[in-house]
Amino acid sequence: MALPRSVFSPAFRYQHLSWFFVALVGIMVYVATFATAAEATLSAITLTWDTGVESRLTIEIPAVEDEANMPQIERVRQTLAILKAQPDIALVMPLPDDEAARLLKPWISQPELLKAIALPTLIDVERKTGSSLTAATLQDKLKNVAEDIHVDDHAAWLADMNHLVNGLALMAGLMILLTAVTLIIAVSLICRAIMATEHDTIALLHIIGADDDAIAKTFQYHARRLAGRASMVGFILALISVGILLFFLRRFADPALLQPMHWAGLAASVLVVPLAAIAMAALSARLSALKLLRSMP
Amino acid sequence: MLVQFEKVSLNYGENHPVLTDINFALPKGGFYFLTGPSGAGKSSLLRLMCCAEKPNTGRVFLFGHDTSHVARKDLPDIRRQIGVVFQDFRLIPHLTAMENAALPLRLVGTDEDYITRHTRELLEWVGLGKRLDALPAELSGGEQQRVAIARAVVNKPKMLLADEPTGNVDDETAIKLFHLFDELHKMGTAVILATHQQNLVERFNKPALRLKNGHLTSLAAKAA
Repeated sequence: MALPRSVFSPAFRYQHLSWFFVALVGIMVYVATFATAAEATLSAITLTWDTGVESRLTIEIPAVEDEANMPQIERVRQTLAILKAQPDIALVMPLPDDEAARLLKPWISQPELLKAIALPTLIDVERKTGSSLTAATLQDKLKNVAEDIHVDDHAAWLADMNHLVNGLALMAGLMILLTAVTLIIAVSLICRAIMATEHDTIALLHIIGADDDAIAKTFQYHARRLAGRASMVGFILALISVGILLFFLRRFADPALLQPMHWAGLAASVLVVPLAAIAMAALSARLSALKLLRSMP
Repeated sequence: MLVQFEKVSLNYGENHPVLTDINFALPKGGFYFLTGPSGAGKSSLLRLMCCAEKPNTGRVFLFGHDTSHVARKDLPDIRRQIGVVFQDFRLIPHLTAMENAALPLRLVGTDEDYITRHTRELLEWVGLGKRLDALPAELSGGEQQRVAIARAVVNKPKMLLADEPTGNVDDETAIKLFHLFDELHKMGTAVILATHQQNLVERFNKPALRLKNGHLTSLAAKAA
């Protein structure tokens, strides 16, 4: 059974709420696509950091002003000896002074000033896989060498970073959910408005033998058509925005950060957004129309 | 039996009875007038006959089905056996004469070639062969009513209900339309035609149901 789709075309075309609906779908798709892409990018970046440093600890041995008690070189030697004796440690790598200087260069640009400052000695430590060695335990063991040695656990700040990314993902999800609910409400309102203005036509269609499903399908068709156009606009604008964002990210951040991104996966996940919006609009229109039609004789 | 009303009453609101204790039965294939002054309840009676309304009390039988016990999903099948013509035509303004007349066939998924051929023949039969692509606004009142009649009979219904079909046309066109209904009846369609134009009722000499203040004052079945 098929009702000509053009039966309600003017009603949808001239219904002011249709424009509100188009704008809403466009904005929803824009926000959701952008949020999905941003979340995917952040996750990829976190993954890079995760895989690189999650098993590492950094030992900082502050420089001593008075070397009479115990020279810095001796403090480093004893620390290295303790570290190498730990069964949970796979690798111990003292950071060369020139590497430490390179790391500080962005903050202290004058070489002579850099030479004048007593730099701390840094030692990178890699734990064995599955090791339960914590920064606090290791710091306790190093207290015998010097009280001021500090052990920095990368897993701790990575956990904070992960919380931030998860929080952003949750926020993006909530935004998508909120706009989806608004979309469903808007579709329902449009269906109500068109049902009211086209009441006589719908009554006529019932009288000549149209069933509710045939009428509801025409509402579904128009909602899908409107949502399709709006989604396309929102999606293209979001892709442009994401493109601009990635351009600046590559320019100002290390491009290696974006290397492990699964571009095909990202494309697939953002493509789901407009398709989901269209499907949601069409389904909401059909269900709203059916609900309203059932209240008619 | 085509239509049967058993103790049917219809109220709009608590204190506004429209039809009271209506009892009658019409056999298949007849031509009946439904007469009475404006506000007598003619349109309401027709609305009950095309399942656009349910009675507050009593039972309405159409083609042997008790309409108050028909499931909503089965209503369209019953409605498709009934053609309805309205005083105000109720054509869809942005569809052409052809598209309007073909609507009931499209609803049941009829083959497109058959729709085009049959609807064209029907519109030619009602005298609109040259106005197939005209929009309702481009047609006169009489022409619009012919499109509405074509739409009502395009799927060969068992019963044709017409609610004041000549109310918006001049006398000459009204007589032509009545002849059209008479021809449809002769082709086998039962016709129930509501009108307050007593002169036309007398001229065509058909049995009539008479309504006054929501009460049936004479029975067509007896008159037939």
